[in-house]
Amino acid sequence: MPRTDHYARARRRALIETMMLLAAMAAGVVAWPLAAKAGPAPGSAAPDFALKGTDGRNLRLSEHRGDVVVLSFWASWCGPCRETLAELRELPSRGGDTGPVVLGVNVDGDAARAASVAASLGLDYPTLVDDRQTVGRLYDVERLPLTLLLDRDGVVRGAWSSKEPPGESLVRRIEELNK
Amino acid sequence: MSNRSEDAAAARRWRACACTLFVAAGLLAARPAPADGSAAAAEEFRSVDQDVQALKKQLIDLNRDLFRLEEELLYPASTQVAVFLSVDVGTFFALDSVTLSLDDKEVANYLYTEREVKALHRGGVQKLFLGNLKAGEHEIVATFTGKGPHERDYRRGTTLRFEKTLGAKYLELRISDREASLQPEFVVRQWE
Repeated sequence: MPRTDHYARARRRALIETMMLLAAMAAGVVAWPLAAKAGPAPGSAAPDFALKGTDGRNLRLSEHRGDVVVLSFWASWCGPCRETLAELRELPSRGGDTGPVVLGVNVDGDAARAASVAASLGLDYPTLVDDRQTVGRLYDVERLPLTLLLDRDGVVRGAWSSKEPPGESLVRRIEELNK
Repeated sequence: MSNRSEDAAAARRWRACACTLFVAAGLLAARPAPADGSAAAAEEFRSVDQDVQALKKQLIDLNRDLFRLEEELLYPASTQVAVFLSVDVGTFFALDSVTLSLDDKEVANYLYTEREVKALHRGGVQKLFLGNLKAGEHEIVATFTGKGPHERDYRRGTTLRFEKTLGAKYLELRISDREASLQPEFVVRQWE
């Protein structure tokens, strides 16, 4: 076999391997933010926490074990968060007796400001204030708004973190959990 | 030579047949008997239910043993320190939160819900903190916040210096009522 053929084949193989490596790296770069910044992974247990609400009452997540819970993280400076919060207002009434428990978690740490935003939006569900940002860190909140759907056992069943409100996709998932 | 190898092959075949028969007999014996009417079916169902309950109990026992083992490994008696919280009467103070510091380091910050406060009023004792401390002198500071007499915001701290010996150390934060002054009282005490 001529030596030049051998070298050509080796060069081709090295080129293909390099291309495959680059493609894998590119896929990793694209997929990493999606995997790393969407809060707790679906299927994992939602970490428990207790926070003070804007009404002065303390609320612990684990006390809602047995209910479907929608947890929405927001901040007063986040425009899309307001749309999501307003949309979630309708959820409990849409589900009738099996409607989910909606909890808003403000990550600003400013209770007065959170209360003012909640009042301006007419939110009738609890607004909790994460004044030490401990819950935000616990849930790895890096993008707002972040909406999580928890089943009756406190397991994360869905996460939405785009600028658009979750809309019908969240309603469908809640209906699936209520079946 | 060939006779011997044929004998060996025949013996292997017999052994294989015997094994197959044993396995088949075992499977037949293990197969549940066909239900004879609804009474037999109900009996079988009851038996399965009992098995499930027994299995659940075993699981709970195993879970408890694992929990104990984990505590023993993570918090050996020689370094263990545990802090409990209890409320006695508590008509002059509505508990909201407790912050606990050991040797100037915050180790626990607990926010109480209505349900938890009710449980404490009914006599519940909460394990607020479990950790490790080396032998020697230490200081614990507990800061209580809540509503005091006349619905006023109330914040009170209490301190205790204690000696950690080789055994486990148990401390209790106790909230009680001081009837004479109509004020709440906060005490840290040691259990020996």
